[in-house]
Amino acid sequence: MAFPKVAKVMIKRAFILFLMVLVATYITVIVANAGGYIDKIEISSIKLKISQTVNGNPAYKGLSLEERQKLIDKLSQIEIRSRGLDQPFLIRSFRYLWKAITLDLGRATVLTSDSGSRSVRIIILERLPQTILLFTTATVINFFIGLFGGLYLSRKFGSFWDKLVIYLSPTSAIPGWFYGIFLILIFYTWLHVLPPGGLVDYPPPTDSIAFFLSVLKHMILPLASWVIASFFIGIYSNRSFFLTYSTEDYVEVAKAKGLSPRQIERRYILRPALPPIITSFAFAVVFSWSGAIITETVFNWPGLGLTYYRAIGVFDVPVIVGITVVFAYLIAATVFLLELIYGIVDPRIRAGQGGGL
Amino acid sequence: MKNGTKYLGIAIFVMLVTLLIFPSISPALAEPQKELPINKYGWLDQIVFFREPDRAKALDELKKGDMNAYFIDISDPDLYREIRESPELSYDFSYGLYYDLTFNPYGPKFKNGKLNPFSDPKIREAMNYVIDRDYIVDEILGGLGVPKFTCFVKAMPEGQRYADVINRIEDAYAYDFEKGKAIITAEMEKLGATLKGGKWYYKGEPVVLNFLIRVEDARKQIGDYIANQLEKLGFTVNRMYKTSRESAPYWILGDPSEGTWNLYTGGWITTAVVRDESDNFLFFYTPEGLPWSPLWQAYKPSPEFYNITKRLAERNFKSIEERNKLMEEAFWLAMKDSARIWIVDQTAVWARRKSLYLVADKAAGYANQAWAYFINRNMKMGGTAKIGSAEVIIDPWNPIAGSDWIYDSMIYDYGSEDNAFVLSPQNGLPIPINVKTVTMEVEKGAPTTSNSETKDWFNLTFVDKVTVPPDAWYAWDVKNQKMITAGEAGVKEAKVKFVVNYGPQLNKTAYHDGSKRTLADFILPWIITFERANPSSEIYDEDSVPSFETYRNQFVAWRIVSKDPLVVEYYVNYIALDAEVIAYNFALWPSEPWHMIATGILAEKSKELAFGQTKAQKLDVEWMNYIAGPSLKILSKDLDQAYNEGYIPFKNFLGKYVTTAEAKRRYKLLKSFYEKHGHFWVADGPYYVDRVDAIAHTALLKSIRLLPYKLEKPARFISEFMIYPYVTVAFGYDKAIYWKYFPAKEIKYGPEGVSLVLGGPAVNIHTKVAFEKVGIKLTGSTLTLPNRRTYRSQWGKVGYGIATIIGDNLYVAGSTRFGTEAALLYILKNRANKGLVVVKWQDKNGDSKVSLDEISVVFEKL
Repeated sequence: MAFPKVAKVMIKRAFILFLMVLVATYITVIVANAGGYIDKIEISSIKLKISQTVNGNPAYKGLSLEERQKLIDKLSQIEIRSRGLDQPFLIRSFRYLWKAITLDLGRATVLTSDSGSRSVRIIILERLPQTILLFTTATVINFFIGLFGGLYLSRKFGSFWDKLVIYLSPTSAIPGWFYGIFLILIFYTWLHVLPPGGLVDYPPPTDSIAFFLSVLKHMILPLASWVIASFFIGIYSNRSFFLTYSTEDYVEVAKAKGLSPRQIERRYILRPALPPIITSFAFAVVFSWSGAIITETVFNWPGLGLTYYRAIGVFDVPVIVGITVVFAYLIAATVFLLELIYGIVDPRIRAGQGGGL
Repeated sequence: MKNGTKYLGIAIFVMLVTLLIFPSISPALAEPQKELPINKYGWLDQIVFFREPDRAKALDELKKGDMNAYFIDISDPDLYREIRESPELSYDFSYGLYYDLTFNPYGPKFKNGKLNPFSDPKIREAMNYVIDRDYIVDEILGGLGVPKFTCFVKAMPEGQRYADVINRIEDAYAYDFEKGKAIITAEMEKLGATLKGGKWYYKGEPVVLNFLIRVEDARKQIGDYIANQLEKLGFTVNRMYKTSRESAPYWILGDPSEGTWNLYTGGWITTAVVRDESDNFLFFYTPEGLPWSPLWQAYKPSPEFYNITKRLAERNFKSIEERNKLMEEAFWLAMKDSARIWIVDQTAVWARRKSLYLVADKAAGYANQAWAYFINRNMKMGGTAKIGSAEVIIDPWNPIAGSDWIYDSMIYDYGSEDNAFVLSPQNGLPIPINVKTVTMEVEKGAPTTSNSETKDWFNLTFVDKVTVPPDAWYAWDVKNQKMITAGEAGVKEAKVKFVVNYGPQLNKTAYHDGSKRTLADFILPWIITFERANPSSEIYDEDSVPSFETYRNQFVAWRIVSKDPLVVEYYVNYIALDAEVIAYNFALWPSEPWHMIATGILAEKSKELAFGQTKAQKLDVEWMNYIAGPSLKILSKDLDQAYNEGYIPFKNFLGKYVTTAEAKRRYKLLKSFYEKHGHFWVADGPYYVDRVDAIAHTALLKSIRLLPYKLEKPARFISEFMIYPYVTVAFGYDKAIYWKYFPAKEIKYGPEGVSLVLGGPAVNIHTKVAFEKVGIKLTGSTLTLPNRRTYRSQWGKVGYGIATIIGDNLYVAGSTRFGTEAALLYILKNRANKGLVVVKWQDKNGDSKVSLDEISVVFEKL
């Protein structure tokens, strides 16, 4: 009998999440175009650029002023039309929204993908592998370092290592890219043993294994910068988290019953702590797919963060909206899945048993 | 667009300048022009392009040798100092970026009743006196700049042409704060303002100047300095710090009458050396400069000034002398008008390792049109260059309407494509690469002239009338798929005729996939120009129409006069100040083979891809990309189709020039190339694109010498062999002679492709066969030419050597070993531009060794 109730709750939750995605996407559309104000700037940029191009082209020097102006006007109009700037922003905004919600990401107005495609889908997909490779790897490493380090220190509460981590945890206030600059200075400028950035050696190795190893070599410094930046704070926060759970009454009872520390850790500390751990891991992984603008800049890493940044810089609304809606859906899906997972991993959470969700 | 100059609003030019003050360093502007080591087959073995947008990091990589040259300018004085102090690095300058102070000239009162001092031309003009440009150059730009007073860059051709006028203007408007202050004070009083307590007031309120100061580059500091000077004059300055996009709605889009701004720190950029910029005055000072901008519509030049700017822009003058007179008048009137005043020409630094030779274009720096022809390591063949750039591979590459980013074109166009001409990075004049001679006839009275630098290959004459022959091709008939002749079109006259002798080209020179050039390669791109502009064509693209109409108004007709050598007549209605530029603009050159373009035509016809980005957007298909992305799969499919069908585009006409068998052979070559290199970019330049990795943003170019097949490049001049012997053939002692000058060069036993064959017939069977064929006789003591002219040697004292082209090969031989070495040494050092040279060696110092000062030319013949 619980299933229909669960289904009803989940459908309701899915609908609310969809509404949230819808609203977030439309807000993005409006903000990305400053409510249509950007159109004016874009049109002037197009006209200025074409005017200068035509006026500066020796091939057009022989034209009369009228001919030259006619040429500028025609070229400007073609460009304005191709960018969709000849249509009212309100109409375009709803079209952007519809396409985004139906995941028809469409075509970029300015940016091209690395391989020269205007398809927003390709723009995103071409950058995603490198982004996942670097930032998701870093996120996973950081997660497990934090998890096991925190668990270990929660058992060694008050020890030298515990104190050391506490004292050093403020160093994590420094962002990863900042450590990255130091790492470049040490390992490239000073020691000249690791590359200062880029995805692969130049020219790229033709052999696939050599290519992969070359990519790994280029990953070392950016990966290290992210791991260093999160190392202490990750362990510290997990340690505090586990300490909270390890002082619960049921843990004391388990201790009194004479269960081994390993059993207590597994059954009475980790198990109830799983929902927040899974939540934090799931969101960390999803957010890692968005890349990191400054780290990508420092290490010249072709990730999605820079694409997003460039799209904002040139007001490429389809790309901005495309990336936003993909992440909005991913977050919504993550939230939705977590609702289900909570029910599985935590016996205290059950639809239809008590107050519901 | 590829060969043109691009002025871009500084809006798209982002450079962060770290401002640290250090003693003035003034780079020399006028460097003596050296002969460029142009090698049309390229010097290096391979060139790697990779992305490095961070200038500081690039400098580090340059120092460590991980990068050999940086194809982006550096304007940071700190980095410049590091470059200068580095023993490994060398540097050059470019001057394409300049800053101005743009005034809002509306007034004297804005709509809000506020006074606008800059509505008064005398106040604007006086601003020249109150700005110390030397201070800006020395203290703000760290020496990386030159004071600027006019709208021309002093280092560019127009700036040098009118250096005398500019110098006089600089003297007349030199920094004199008190003089400027006196003029401004007098004018402000005339406008009804009063000076109280050192502050200007108008109708009881302070005169506030809204000053738009750009923040992305050195203009922030320049703006602050100018604001300080204005405050010293008694104005209240409201400093409005804004980015390009934030400031655009005010200065270029906004209504100047609203008074939201008074001054703006403008900036402009030019990316190629342009020799004729006489329309600059019209652009910068009159409403016709930017008719859509409200600011430009507020410009009110005096009738006299406006008339001159218009005449200059429309080239409404009869002679160069008349132009010079108009220009000088315009210079002075522009100062009187001062709708904007000029501040500095910024000097940009281009860095490279000393071991790599490059020449910086005065506007475009290292990323100039000719770089691939002269980049080298110590003037020797071979070696690798790693080149960094802010961007590598941005937009799609295709032969019809691909990327126009300089970051792309510096690789696919300048690096991999050959040309009829390239523009000199030093003076902007065309340099013939695949052209032997040009003879031009221009209607009398046309304001054009030729230059002494081009007299070896360019000949200009003035005639009463230029007649177009009736059989010249006037247009392509899209509907009937045939050429329309000038006779059929009723076209009889043109303003200019020029005849280009390309030398032996057809069936001799090769593209990167091994196909040999034919007339079809010349004809197809011209047909496509018409097809793309015609709505009834399957490859119509409305984006191409405006440019086509312009082209059509200028280009009249062409006619193929001879196939070997290839000689083509062109007829145009276009006049340029430098007559050579007319030929440069209109002479056809097929950088890509027709079959490579044909594959794209099939893709566009089937609406799977489009050459142009606007059409691609409209059709919602991919913008055609010959090097990466989803296009490759489609192009591959279309290539198979083209091969299977023996496809010949526009077969009704082009079928006269291409057989089905030849078409299939070509498609097969392209297929092999694609399978090996993973892309379809086949061109004809000194380097071919071996591999690209669009995700990693890197491209690897390799010398055409490294291709697996022989490119039968015809060498008509000995000088070409100096840079392009694929193989050297020599035996015995002649090997020792060769290794003396090319220590690492491999020597073969027989010619392979284009070869340098060293040694006389007594020891070298290949020389013997070739000499017998043409009638040259060489014994141990005599050298006899086919014309029976005989030279006698004396062992160890006097020797004669000969260097001559026979067939595809260059033969260097002597009556003695001394003669052979003398001939080799001579052509090596002098790059003799002849088909046959006989030299005499005389042992003047008695050391029995050959040295250059002991060699003289006794006979030479083309």
